[in-house]
Amino acid sequence: MKTYRKTLTGALALALLGAASAYAAPPAGRLLAAQCAQCHGTNGQAVSGMEKLAGESEREIYNELIEMKAKLKPDEIMHRQAAGYTDAQIRLIARYYASLGKTGSTGSRGSSSTSRKSRDD
Amino acid sequence: MFSHNRRKLLQASGALVATGALSATTPAQAAAPRVVVIGGGFAGATVAKYVRMWNPAIQVSLVEPNPGHVSCILSNLVMTGAVGMSTITLRYDNLRSKYGVNIVADRAVSIDPVSRVVLTANGSRLPYDKLVLAPGIDFDSIPGLDSAVLPHAWQAGPQTLALKAQLDSVPAGGTFVMSIPKAPYRCPPGPYERACLLADSLLRRRRAGRVIVLDANSDVVAEPHTFHTAFQTTYAGVIDYRPNSEVLSVDWAGKKVVTNWESVPFDAANIIPPQRAGKLVAAAGLLGSDPATRWAPVNPLSYESRVVPNVHVIGDSQGTGQPKSGHMANAQAKVCADALVRYFAGEQPDPAPMTSSACYSPITATTASWLTVVFGYDAASGLMKPVANTLAEAPAPTAGHYKDMFGWAKNLFADSFS
Repeated sequence: MKTYRKTLTGALALALLGAASAYAAPPAGRLLAAQCAQCHGTNGQAVSGMEKLAGESEREIYNELIEMKAKLKPDEIMHRQAAGYTDAQIRLIARYYASLGKTGSTGSRGSSSTSRKSRDD
Repeated sequence: MFSHNRRKLLQASGALVATGALSATTPAQAAAPRVVVIGGGFAGATVAKYVRMWNPAIQVSLVEPNPGHVSCILSNLVMTGAVGMSTITLRYDNLRSKYGVNIVADRAVSIDPVSRVVLTANGSRLPYDKLVLAPGIDFDSIPGLDSAVLPHAWQAGPQTLALKAQLDSVPAGGTFVMSIPKAPYRCPPGPYERACLLADSLLRRRRAGRVIVLDANSDVVAEPHTFHTAFQTTYAGVIDYRPNSEVLSVDWAGKKVVTNWESVPFDAANIIPPQRAGKLVAAAGLLGSDPATRWAPVNPLSYESRVVPNVHVIGDSQGTGQPKSGHMANAQAKVCADALVRYFAGEQPDPAPMTSSACYSPITATTASWLTVVFGYDAASGLMKPVANTLAEAPAPTAGHYKDMFGWAKNLFADSFS
């Protein structure tokens, strides 16, 4: 089974190189980041009344969530949300939203998780 | 084992598709993976949208007889007249035009999990590689209760307007009786929110009536601080809260509700019956062999049924210990969508999925509270468990939260349906 999967993954990887990622595995952080979208909009593009996250700097999103988690103010719903995620998960979420750019991408091909790192750090 | 073998086969077909695309000689479309989604509420709409958004090479069909979904979220504000039906009516047009979801305006009547085909009321046969069931809730029957006459309004639409008619019919000094079923039911704070808005409406209309709340549970199920304060202070003398009160029957002609304790006369009423997974879940054998099982056992890494392979259950019908709500249905749909995308890429699901819950409840005509919790996967139990320090309710209802409620709802509606 393991060999089978390896071969398959290899075949897929080859196929993906030529076939514009029709079956690519998801970019890191995308699923975690999608949990913010109920309030902050699909791909961080809020439609009304909430902060847009797409294209915010990784450092800003990360620092803000880490600070919220540390404070846990009783009248702040976001502080409780932040408390649900580990520092490493928050890093992935921040990096993913930073990678989308202000206009937001469709997310179907979401850019590489490291592409924006150098700019923000 | 069955599941395992099927998975292998499907992975092989996924590989074929991929190599086909590489050599560009075989039409990849012919073998494109097919996902069929049944039910167009928050869960079904979100999974259809996100699968297409995350991988447009996967074909997605959404089977739903109605042209749009009427949201329970904000529907108590339709009851009071604060918002209209158009605010909570969410159409599927964007799922089709923006994401290429194939909307099948038909009712799914049965599933053949061996041939992997869904049969519809109009006689269509829809083959699938993966099936996602999101049929919401079904109700237990209560002797003497006809919900067409005495609405539950726990599915929005005509029921919402019937509830509004009940409220509008309360005479001066009259009694409105509402009942709350045993948990788990759809939207834990919802019935208490409704009790508050019924009381607020009676006060504003100077009807001097009262609201008797018959709760089958031993205490307020969600936001206990918020609702105990509201019942004892804000609506003192209007709301009469009676815990451990289970509705056994309804006497419509005599206008009485019979509980395990007493017989309660009413002028108008809202009886919310006990709930279980949508009908199709039981019909497809997804509840397993124990007749006491009300919600579909699924693996929360992918929401695949633990009973029938290649069938996933999300939203209110799933049984993973998460609260049943539109917001959570959306959250689970994304975990399921991600798992499906990975599956067709020959990958395993994310081993540590998270789901975020948040909701706002109006407490008066101008204030609202909120409730929030974050769930993480617990490998030991195979369930989703609340993360420490994340379960909280607003310290007090405020006008600011009331405003945020509309921002929350608008974004949740858009994230799910457009």
